[in-house]
Amino acid sequence: MAYQVSIFLENKTGHFERVTRVLKDNGINIRSMTLTHTVSGWGILNLLVDQPEKANQALQESGLSSALRRILAFGMEDHPGGLDDILLQLAQAGVNFLNAYGRVLENGKQALLIVDVDDYDLALEQVSKIDLYPLNDEMVYGN
Amino acid sequence: MYWEREFETLERNKLRSLQLERLKRTVKQAIQSPFYKELYQRKGISADRLRHVEAIRELPFTTKQDLREHFPYGFLSLPKRDIIRLHSSSGTTGNPTVIFHNRHDISSWANLMARSLYCAGVRDTDVFQNICGYGLFTGGLGFQYGIERLGCLSIPAGAGNSLRQIKLMQDYGTTAIHAIPSYLGRLYEVFQAEGLDPRKDTDLRLFVIGAEPHTEEQRQRIEDMFGVKAYNSFGLSEMNGPGVAFECTEQAGLHIWEDAFLIEIIDPETLEPVPDGEFGELVMTTLDREAMPLIRYRTRDITRIIPGVCACGRTHARLDRITGRSDDMFIVKGCNVFPMQIEGVLLKVPEVGSDYLITLERINGVDEMIVEVEVKKDWFNGDIARLDRLSKFITHQIRDEVLTKPIVRLVEPGSIPKSAGKAVRVLDKRVFDSVKL
Repeated sequence: MAYQVSIFLENKTGHFERVTRVLKDNGINIRSMTLTHTVSGWGILNLLVDQPEKANQALQESGLSSALRRILAFGMEDHPGGLDDILLQLAQAGVNFLNAYGRVLENGKQALLIVDVDDYDLALEQVSKIDLYPLNDEMVYGN
Repeated sequence: MYWEREFETLERNKLRSLQLERLKRTVKQAIQSPFYKELYQRKGISADRLRHVEAIRELPFTTKQDLREHFPYGFLSLPKRDIIRLHSSSGTTGNPTVIFHNRHDISSWANLMARSLYCAGVRDTDVFQNICGYGLFTGGLGFQYGIERLGCLSIPAGAGNSLRQIKLMQDYGTTAIHAIPSYLGRLYEVFQAEGLDPRKDTDLRLFVIGAEPHTEEQRQRIEDMFGVKAYNSFGLSEMNGPGVAFECTEQAGLHIWEDAFLIEIIDPETLEPVPDGEFGELVMTTLDREAMPLIRYRTRDITRIIPGVCACGRTHARLDRITGRSDDMFIVKGCNVFPMQIEGVLLKVPEVGSDYLITLERINGVDEMIVEVEVKKDWFNGDIARLDRLSKFITHQIRDEVLTKPIVRLVEPGSIPKSAGKAVRVLDKRVFDSVKL
């Protein structure tokens, strides 16, 4: 079961850097990320890192609102149409996303789709019905 | 020129005599209420002891706290069967401030309102659109009765819905409007968006603005945008509502109707009168109210009496603009707000901390109340929709409490100064000035 680290951030100069400084000081490597902004002046930073628990703890200790959030990660082929293949399967399974992003694992061969859903358990059940299974944690966090 | 020449131009010494006569009557009437009866008996006060108006200084003050503690009927000086209307403050925290009127009070208020409008140049030939909330808020019915008493064609338009407001103006040839100043900037934008120029496409000639602090610059901008004259008004629900003090066409301060209200300006610390023409807290006594007289009511508004006489010939004193408050209440979009009300709402929302910061700012000509609150760390789970729902929930809760919609900003924990001692809870970035003569 894989996790991303989600951080509540005000949209103010220097606040993003405050997060990356904590990660740097703790030797944490970022694999992928998304930054969402709302019209209300705040947003959420989602980070896929090599050591989520350690990152979350360090960020909380530094005073930030940070949480571990379960995600689903699926493998896909790194070539044109690779994302479409996996999205077609997920759509057929009935999975709806709150947020999604990706990373390349091996150039031209393998990539990773990370999906944040409203109901994790339901999504897991839906994908298992079409014999689709999330990747293991080492694949998600590793090199 | 005058609605009631005999009262409006009464010589000062005769005005003083009239005030004394009415003050005695008021004290006698007030003693009929449970609150004043107990208070005055305890202090051995009777109307006969008042030999001149200044003797009012020997009477105790009345505060908003007194009104709340003796809610609902403690100040009623007449049997309930004689009462025909009440107006009440908003709010769900603590007791509201409620004022009762009998038939005489409503009629007297309507007359003061008509006098005020006439003094600003409104005539019975005007088509008057009252862009103001009706209901418990005094600005709706208060103006309505005055407009009708004066004899204008009244349009009780109510607040909001700018497109409909513009349509009403065009359909019926509105010439005069009452609205809060910050709304007029918004209304002008809607005119522009519709490709209309209020200077050419309407018959507007006169605005009455008030219920919200504003600057001379704002007034001038409104006058330029709409091609009208804009007159400042002042009132407070405890003193009926609108129609307490109004600008005449000289635009040199607001005439406060001294045959209906006895005014004092005191130092809010020492409670002693300030020297003539100096700023202090406005204290008011009703002189023509039967159902619920109030004696030496502390309005908490900071202002002064403008020295000298007005070129219009009215002898009634002129109030300067309200420059501040001697308590922490503030006014935004015509609504009176106490920080305690915001605090009360936030305390009931477990997802946020108890620290908050209210910033009052003029954004594109409109006054906004920005409320910053900290999201609790252990509640945060990374779900953006959940945060958005929380933000909307708090916005609605505050709106229900204070009747104006805030801009709620969720902020990171620890970013608001802790409430140790006298922490700053309200930051007013708006600029206000006093009358320049």
